[in-house]
Amino acid sequence: MSIALRGVVKSYGRTTALDGLDLDVRDGEFFCLLGPSGAGKTTTLKAVAGLERPEAGTIEIDGRDMRDVEPYDRGVAMCFESYALYPHRSVYDNLVSPLRSPRHRLPPAEARDRVDTVAGLLGIGDLLDRMPGRLSNGQRQRVALGRVLVRPARAFLLDEPLSHLDAKLRQQMRAELKAIGDVRRTTTLYVTHDSVEALALGDRIGVIRDGRIVQTGTREDIWYRPYDTEVARAFGRPRINLLPGTVTEAGRFRSADGAFELPLPVRAAPGTEVLAGVRPRDVSLTGDGHRLPGTVYVTEVLGRSVEVTVRIGAQALSLVADRAEVAGLRPDDPVRPAVRPENLLLFEADRPHGPGRRIGRR
Amino acid sequence: MRKRLWGWLADAALLLYFVFALFPVAWMLILSLKPADQLFSTYFSFTPTLDAYRTVLGDDEGIPFVRFFVNSLVVSLGAVALSLVVGLPAAYASARWRFKGSEHLMFTLLSFRFAPELTVIIPLFVLYQKLGLFDTYAGMVWVLQLVTLPLVVWIMRSYFADLTPELEQAALLDGYTRRQAFFKVALPLVRPGIAAVSLLAFIFAWNNFVFPLILTSHEAQTVTVGALSFLGGDRPKYHLTAAAALISVVPPLLLALTIQRYLVRGLSFGAVKS
Amino acid sequence: MRARPALRPYLLILPALLLTCGILYPFGLGLYYTLFDFSAAKPRPDLVRLHNYETVLTQDAFWHSAWVTVLYAVGAAGVETVLGVAVALLLHRSSLAGRVLEKILILPLMIAPVIAAIMWKLMLQPSVGVINHLLEPFGLGGVQWTDTPAGALLSSIAVDVWVYTPFVAILALAGLRSLPLSPFEAAQVDGAGPWYTFRRLTLPMLWPYVMVAVIFRFMDSLKVFDIIYALTEGGPGDSTVVLQIRAYLEAIRFQRYSFGISYTIVLWAVVYLAAMVLVRHLGRIQRKAAEVSA
Repeated sequence: MSIALRGVVKSYGRTTALDGLDLDVRDGEFFCLLGPSGAGKTTTLKAVAGLERPEAGTIEIDGRDMRDVEPYDRGVAMCFESYALYPHRSVYDNLVSPLRSPRHRLPPAEARDRVDTVAGLLGIGDLLDRMPGRLSNGQRQRVALGRVLVRPARAFLLDEPLSHLDAKLRQQMRAELKAIGDVRRTTTLYVTHDSVEALALGDRIGVIRDGRIVQTGTREDIWYRPYDTEVARAFGRPRINLLPGTVTEAGRFRSADGAFELPLPVRAAPGTEVLAGVRPRDVSLTGDGHRLPGTVYVTEVLGRSVEVTVRIGAQALSLVADRAEVAGLRPDDPVRPAVRPENLLLFEADRPHGPGRRIGRR
Repeated sequence: MRKRLWGWLADAALLLYFVFALFPVAWMLILSLKPADQLFSTYFSFTPTLDAYRTVLGDDEGIPFVRFFVNSLVVSLGAVALSLVVGLPAAYASARWRFKGSEHLMFTLLSFRFAPELTVIIPLFVLYQKLGLFDTYAGMVWVLQLVTLPLVVWIMRSYFADLTPELEQAALLDGYTRRQAFFKVALPLVRPGIAAVSLLAFIFAWNNFVFPLILTSHEAQTVTVGALSFLGGDRPKYHLTAAAALISVVPPLLLALTIQRYLVRGLSFGAVKS
Repeated sequence: MRARPALRPYLLILPALLLTCGILYPFGLGLYYTLFDFSAAKPRPDLVRLHNYETVLTQDAFWHSAWVTVLYAVGAAGVETVLGVAVALLLHRSSLAGRVLEKILILPLMIAPVIAAIMWKLMLQPSVGVINHLLEPFGLGGVQWTDTPAGALLSSIAVDVWVYTPFVAILALAGLRSLPLSPFEAAQVDGAGPWYTFRRLTLPMLWPYVMVAVIFRFMDSLKVFDIIYALTEGGPGDSTVVLQIRAYLEAIRFQRYSFGISYTIVLWAVVYLAAMVLVRHLGRIQRKAAEVSA
């Protein structure tokens, strides 16, 4: 099932939640909608589900206009961030609820089987007799997910379904979620604020900000061709380095304090104020590339690798190196990190009214 | 040491208040148990008897108190039932969709709560006589809406507003209709609220005095007016009055004990939650 | 039935709307009556426009009643506020006994005001009344409680206080229980004394709750009827004839319907004005309380 939103506007009182949002989710794909809280992610899901009526714009499912189509007639299943479990019913009754509804009714025995299968899949088989009030947040979240998976759906709308799980379980569930057959076959619109999750799960990713889609694309698109500095900052930890500077007459990048220059992979008008972006994992202490003179400022162990922040003039450049490479490095030790020009991303400088856009081919 | 003294004083003050609060009820009990001939001669020492209750409940004084009691019951239950049937959907709608019509309705209902009763009763007194509703159950149930409907709508709105709409939304996506979402999800979850507001509305309807005073005469008269009529007549019948007063406060007091937890929100029209 | 989504809320409130109109109708009818000289003696009334209101507002009787009403409302609401808050504070302080006493607290509030007035009438009675008997040892026997103008008003207020003090106390207690802890902990760390804590923290944060109670009590006691009707019937003379009693006497006893309703309309306007002022005040102190707890 495909989902298409065109110019959708929704406001609550004076605050605008969706400000002319356009979005295309293709049939069968796993689409991640990523954005900070308050960006309009949940409102988008609810608009698709028919729980919120947009003031302007159209929502089409499989090319059919959904205006005046009731939520229960849209064939979508939604998992709420607040879980929305019925507090007066047991876990089993919550899970079986869709299968008792007039829309998706199954004979009790079949419903029981279906619930057992899904509960097993999510590891909540031994919670069926409990009341939702007596579950941990992680358990509740899985029950909420289960209620979505038990029923046939043309599309799944999942609102931060893993956010309340602890780190280990989240990683495990992330892997399993996409492996679930129904999820693999069914169009899924998945909302998250976690860029790692979006990169791991999304066939395509849509970045939403202030009620609009900023960029849509595959993880490669988002990673290598971010629309602007904010998208670039949103993906990847440690965060991308954004070094302020200008474009010289020769078309090179010169840092704001004049401490160093870098060759640029793209053309830009001389004199433009820009930000040169390079991801910490693309900077190395030993590899080849354009070397920059600096001193060690601070090192932070990230597990097997180490984040090193290097001071270059007035700039700070962070990079990720192997533990072995960094052994023996002390603050103020001189280093010469290498940057390969093809890994450079060039952005317009940030303005008060918005982040700087990327310069170069799309 | 000084702290301890203050503590005692505080306890004594509290005790004093409760003596003040309870004494009238205790005195009524004493008065109602007195035989008629000891009414004026003693205060605390007398031979207790249930004669007063027998007289009151036996209609011996030409005041059909049992009938009044039944009237109170019928009229109050009827008023609460009508308010619930009509008020619950309205409360739900105004909690879920803020729109002009519902805000006007809510405000009008609140202003009923603070309107002098006689503004409505005097015209009704005239109107009821024309329509044949004077001294009838139907007439009383109608006018009692002035008391019970604002209570039901305002309090239930605050209960519905506390309920996240996502529960009903989940039900819609589970495949239920809006009506089923209301009856299967929203309504069961506000059941404590419904119970509390029903009891409170019943108590207020039962305790009402001015409506039956003016809009009934005999057929539909209630206990509050009935109890007062024991004070009328040539010969004062204080022990009977006391017995009638006590009988008429039993139902509201029993009900009140069961809704203590919900009383705060009820009394403040949802303005204060506890 | 499948309703257009936009119509659904309107359908849901329709029954309540109709019923409300059913109650609004007599109200409108009453307003209409006040423009005529409708009475039992004159069933075919003439249009007199605002003459009824003119008469009401120029009558000494009205101003007397208005004065008595305001005295009653200020007296009752005032005493109830102070006493109610005091009871709430004391109950909040004591733990075990507090829980038991709290159950008893609501008892007077659940008794019909008219029944409460009957009870007090029996206690204040010169012949069987127990109050004078109890006061005798203190040399205070033989007080003519409801037979003097001042005594009658004070007695009525006493009954109101007896019934409604729990109302203030219950709301104040709910307020006390919901006060945030952190400002008090901060004050304790700063070494603030109990009086300072009470004046600067408890009271301002509690005030919005108390104010809700005061608004209810003040507006309700402006339209008192039951208690006075049962206790004094407005007497002695017309010393306790509050506005609703006056309206009752005019409309029901003397059957001057139009004139009686005019009284209640004027009262309604007063109540409405009082409500506006008090609610605005409530908004102000709620903001103040928010500042203190922040």
